Amino acid sequence: MRKFSLFAVVVGLLAITSASPASRLSAAGSSITGAVKATGLSSNADAIVYVQEAPGGKPLAPVTMDQRKMQFLPHVLPVTVGTTVKFLNSDPTPHNVFSPDFEKYNLGTWPQGQSKDYVFSKCAKFPCAYTQLCRVHPEMEGFVVVVPNTYFAVSDHEGHYEIPNVPPGQYVLAVWHPKLKAQPKPVTVEAGKNATVDFVLAK
Amino acid sequence: MRTPPDMLRHPWSLGLAVAIVGVFLGSTTAEGVPAFARKYQTSCQTCHTIFPKLNAFGEAFRLKGYRMPGETEEMIKEKPVSLGAPAYKRLWPKAVWPGEVSSAVPLAVNVKMGFVNTSTLNEDGSTTSVKYDFQFPQEVNLFGAGTLGDHVSYLAEVTFAENPDSSVSVELEHARIQFDSPFGPEDLFHIRFGKFAPNLVDGFQEMWLSTDAAIDSLFAYNPIGVNGGVGLAGDISPQPIALPDRVRGIEAYGIYEHRLMWVAGIANGISPGPNGGFDGNNAKDYYARVDYKIGGMGLDGDTGGKPVPAENWRDDSLRIGAFIYRGDGSQINYASPPPPDAPEFNLQDAHFLRTGIYVSGYIRDLNVFGAYVHGSDTIQQFDPTSAILIGQTEPTYDALFVQADYVIYPWLQASGRYETVSVGDPTVPSLRSAVFNLSALIRANVKAMVEYQRDLRAGENHSLNVLVRFAF
Repeated sequence: MRKFSLFAVVVGLLAITSASPASRLSAAGSSITGAVKATGLSSNADAIVYVQEAPGGKPLAPVTMDQRKMQFLPHVLPVTVGTTVKFLNSDPTPHNVFSPDFEKYNLGTWPQGQSKDYVFSKCAKFPCAYTQLCRVHPEMEGFVVVVPNTYFAVSDHEGHYEIPNVPPGQYVLAVWHPKLKAQPKPVTVEAGKNATVDFVLAK
Repeated sequence: MRTPPDMLRHPWSLGLAVAIVGVFLGSTTAEGVPAFARKYQTSCQTCHTIFPKLNAFGEAFRLKGYRMPGETEEMIKEKPVSLGAPAYKRLWPKAVWPGEVSSAVPLAVNVKMGFVNTSTLNEDGSTTSVKYDFQFPQEVNLFGAGTLGDHVSYLAEVTFAENPDSSVSVELEHARIQFDSPFGPEDLFHIRFGKFAPNLVDGFQEMWLSTDAAIDSLFAYNPIGVNGGVGLAGDISPQPIALPDRVRGIEAYGIYEHRLMWVAGIANGISPGPNGGFDGNNAKDYYARVDYKIGGMGLDGDTGGKPVPAENWRDDSLRIGAFIYRGDGSQINYASPPPPDAPEFNLQDAHFLRTGIYVSGYIRDLNVFGAYVHGSDTIQQFDPTSAILIGQTEPTYDALFVQADYVIYPWLQASGRYETVSVGDPTVPSLRSAVFNLSALIRANVKAMVEYQRDLRAGENHSLNVLVRFAF
C-alpha cells in the first residue's frame, strides 16, 4: 500500500511536470506559439521567432554559450542588447572564439573550464546575427543573435516554439534562421488567449 | 617496287583485328556507383534503369556534379563531415575555404564475372575457340565518388582485371575533380580536370552502356594507315584515337535553360609520350559538343512542374547533338605494317578531325540511340632513318552505330546494336558487327547478362557470354 502511494505521488508529479509549456504558461499570460517548418532541412530547430517591436529591450542576465564536444551549445543563442555572453570551454582541448560579423572580435584561446565574456552592446538593425567560430576547430559554428526585446523563442527539432507572457496587443512576428528565411507575420495577442503563428522557412 | 599506299592495303587486317579485339577485349569496364545509394539511402533504380545505364534523373544527377536536382540537406541521409563552417567563406583569403567529406569512406566495388564462349578467325583461315570458360572474376572496379562541399565533386576508379595466368592488370580509369556551378546561373558552367570519360561521348561511352561489349567501331578503330584504317587498334602503343573513351585534360560544360548542353575540352590526345611524358607530343587536342533535348526531363532534372512517369526509365524525349574532335598526332611515330621484303617507314597522323552527330529518342519503354562519326586524317610517311617526309595522304572513314534498349520489365531489358565502319579506301573492307544482350536484375545491385556478339563480315568471329555483375 505504501509502495502504491509513493507510485501515485511520482506519477502525479510527472503528470504535472510533463504538462505542455503552453498549458502552464497560459495561466501566467498569453503566449504566442506555433511551428516552424525548415524546408529541405533535416531538423526544424534553431529558428529564432521574435516580436519585432515590443517593450522589454533590457539586457538579459548573463547567459552561457558552451563549447562542448566540439560544438557551440546552444547552437543558436538569442540575446538582447547589452547582454553578456559567457563563452565557456568544457572540452579538454583549447578552444577559440571569434566572430567576423559587425564590430568583429577575437576573444583568444583558452583551456577547459575557463570562460570569457563578451557584451553584445549594440545592434543597429535587428536582428544582429554574430557568427561564432573557433580558429582551432574550423568546423565549429554557433550564432549569437541580438533581438530587440525579450519576447523570443527558439524552435525545437520538431519546429515547435513558444513565446510566453506576451502583453496583449498587435505585433509583427519575425523569424531568423542560420540558413533559411521567412517573411514576418502579424499577430494579435488577446488577454488570456494563446495566439498561433506558423512559419515555413525557405532559401 | 610497291609504294607505301599499296603496302597498307591489307583486307585481312581488319577482320583479324575484329577477331582479336572486338570479340575478346571489347568489353565495358565501368558500372554504377553504390556509394551514392549509401549517401542518399536510395535504390540504384533512382538513377539507373539496368545499371550502369542512367535514366533521366541519373543523367541530371551526374551532370550536376553528383547532386540531386533540387537537392536539400534532408535528402542526404549520410551526413558529411564539415571541414569548416560556412562562415569561413566570408573570411577567405584569410581562412581556408570550407569543404566537407563524406562521413563514411565513399568507396564502391563492382565485380564482373564471365562465362565465356568465343570463336576467333585466325589469319590463316583457321578458327580458335574458347568454350565454357569460367572467367571468375574478369575484373573488379573500385570507385570513389562524391562531393567535397559546395561546388566540388570527384570520381576515381581503379580497375583490376584478372589475366588468364592469374596476374592482375591495374588501370586507373578515372580520376578527376570537378567544380560545379562555381559562378553564374546554376549548371551553366562546370569545369573538370583529370582523367575522365569526356562528355563528348557520354551518350554511348562504355561507362554508361548496358551491353558488355563496348562500341569498338567508334572508339577502338585504328585510323593509322596510309589509305585508311586497318582495323581495330588492339594493343598498339601509343594508342591512336578514333574517338577518345577517356581523356587526360580539362573540360568545361554546362546546361542552358534546362535543355541545351554545351561542352568544350582540351586533352593530351595520343599518349603516352616519349621521355616519361603522358602526352605523345606537345600539341593538344580539342573537342566540343552541343546538344538539345526535346521533351522529357530537363538535362538538369527540371520537370517544368509536370509529373514524371512512375516508370523511372521512361522519358519520352528526343536528344540531338553534334560534336567535333580535333587531334594532333604529329611527331608520334607508328611503324608501317611490315610486309615481307618491303621497306619500312614511319607514319604520323599529323592532324585528324572527327565530326559526328548523336541522337537518342525515348518512346515509353524503348530507347533508340546512335551516333554517326566522319573521320579524316592527315597521314604522313617519314623515312625512319632520315625523318624525311616521303608522302602524305588524307584518308577518311565513316562510323555508325544504332542501338535499341527495350525495358521488358523493370528488371529485364533487351538490347540490340549494329555498328559499322566504312573506310574511305575502297580496298579496305568495312567493319560490321552486331550485339544482342539480355540483362536481368537479379537484385537491384546484381545483374546477369546473356550477350551474343557477331562479326557480320566473318561469321567465324562471334561470342556468346554469360556475365554477372554485382555492385556494393
